Parts: sequence; C-alpha cells; structure tokens
Amino acid sequence: MPMTAIFATMLIALILDRSGPRSLAVPCLFLCLILSVWLFLWEIYSPEYGFRMPWIQVEMEPCVALVRVA
Amino acid sequence: MSGAAITESPVVIALGRLILLLMLLALAAIISAAMAIQYAFGELPCPLCLLQRVAMFGVCFGIIQQLRNGTSERSTGLSLIFTILLLVISVRQTLLDLFPRPGHEYIGSAIFGIHMPVWSVLIAMALLLGFAVKLALFGGSHAVPETEGKRMSRFIQGLCIYVIVICAINFLSVVLQCGFGECHTSGYKLL
Repeated sequence: MPMTAIFATMLIALILDRSGPRSLAVPCLFLCLILSVWLFLWEIYSPEYGFRMPWIQVEMEPCVALVRVA
Repeated sequence: MSGAAITESPVVIALGRLILLLMLLALAAIISAAMAIQYAFGELPCPLCLLQRVAMFGVCFGIIQQLRNGTSERSTGLSLIFTILLLVISVRQTLLDLFPRPGHEYIGSAIFGIHMPVWSVLIAMALLLGFAVKLALFGGSHAVPETEGKRMSRFIQGLCIYVIVICAINFLSVVLQCGFGECHTSGYKLL
C-alpha cells in the first residue's frame, strides 16, 4: 500500500501542477515526500541491527596505533 | 559588474533554462532506460530502487515548474530536497549491498560495470552539481522569456507530458508489482 500511495501522490502532484489547481500540487508533493521518507526508514530498519550497518565496520586498532605513532 | 545586470541578460536566462532542460531530458532518459530494463529483461525493481525513481520524479517536478512558470528559488528548493532524498537512499542502498552476503547483493545487472544504486549516487551528485552551477552562474529567479520560440515551448510541453506519462506507467507497474502490500522482486503480485 505505501509504495502504491507514494506513486499515486507523485502522479497526482504532477497532474495537478499541469492541469489542476496548482495550489494543491505542492502539498501533494510534500505528502509524497513524507510517505517516501517513512517507507525508506521502514525498509532499512532491521530488528537485529536497527539502523546500524555492522558489516561495514572497520578495524579500529590499526588506526589508533597510527595516531599514537604520529 | 552588478548581479542584476547579469541576471537580466536574455542569453544568461536562456542558458539557465537550457541547463534545466538538459537535466529534465537526462532524468526522463534515465527513468525510461530503467523501465526498459524492467520490461525487456524482466529485472523487477526493489523497494529502494522504486523510491529512487520517486525521488527522480520529484526532481522533475521542480524542473518542470521552472520551465513552465519561470525559474524560482522555491522550485529549485523542491528539486534539491528530492535530489538529497535520492542521494541518501542510493548511498544507503550502496552501503547495504557493498559486501555481498545471503539476502544482500546488488539487484539487477551492472551497466558499464556499475550497478544501479551506484549509478544513482552519481546521478544525484551530477544533479547537485547542475543546480549549483545553474544558481552560481545564472541566478535563481527569472520569468519565462517572451522571446522563446514556439518550437522550444512545444518541446518543453511535450517533455513535461512525457514525464507525466512515464510516471503514470510506473504507478500502474507498481500496482501490478506490489498490489496494496509490500513490494517484492520475485514477480508481479497481481499477474
């Protein structure tokens, strides 16, 4: 439902900007933006990791050692 | 040399509009290519890929407003918001699939050796650069020049309608792929 609603609001915004009441086009676009951000956050959230990405963590020890030497 | 003198020159206004037109053309071509890959090669877009298309349509919305009603900071702002959304989504997806592991690998085939999410990062960066150059060199607000030819005006109108049409096709495609639930890349839910 969210993705369908997102594309529907974007299409309505484009149509309103072209041939409907233009004052409603931008609010429709912002509704689309809010739905998009919400769905994006929902998609990337993992119950295991949250919003973190542990698979791209780097080893800190070599970096710390380099700083100490400098 | 004053800023006002620069912004009032017809050549400067025309160049500013040309940049916007090229950006809209590029976006329309990119979305059309993505749709061609989807329909011709059966590579269904993932939810984040679909959100990136939405972000590109959002950028198109701002550019269309500027081409039809004259350039303005407000429309540029709308386009920039969606450009940043495109950048955030594509960077996150690139990082998500950076190290292939079960259930996480780049979706779809590579184009010129680069996968779609990475292309999206490059596209977002190019859009940011385009808006920055346009604002820096040609300013923010101009009315539509009266000297603009009918042929150019028709071309812009046609391009705007084309963007609406491909958005409508994408909407129908999303309805078929996702129905009224979650989106999956395994197949069209309603077919």
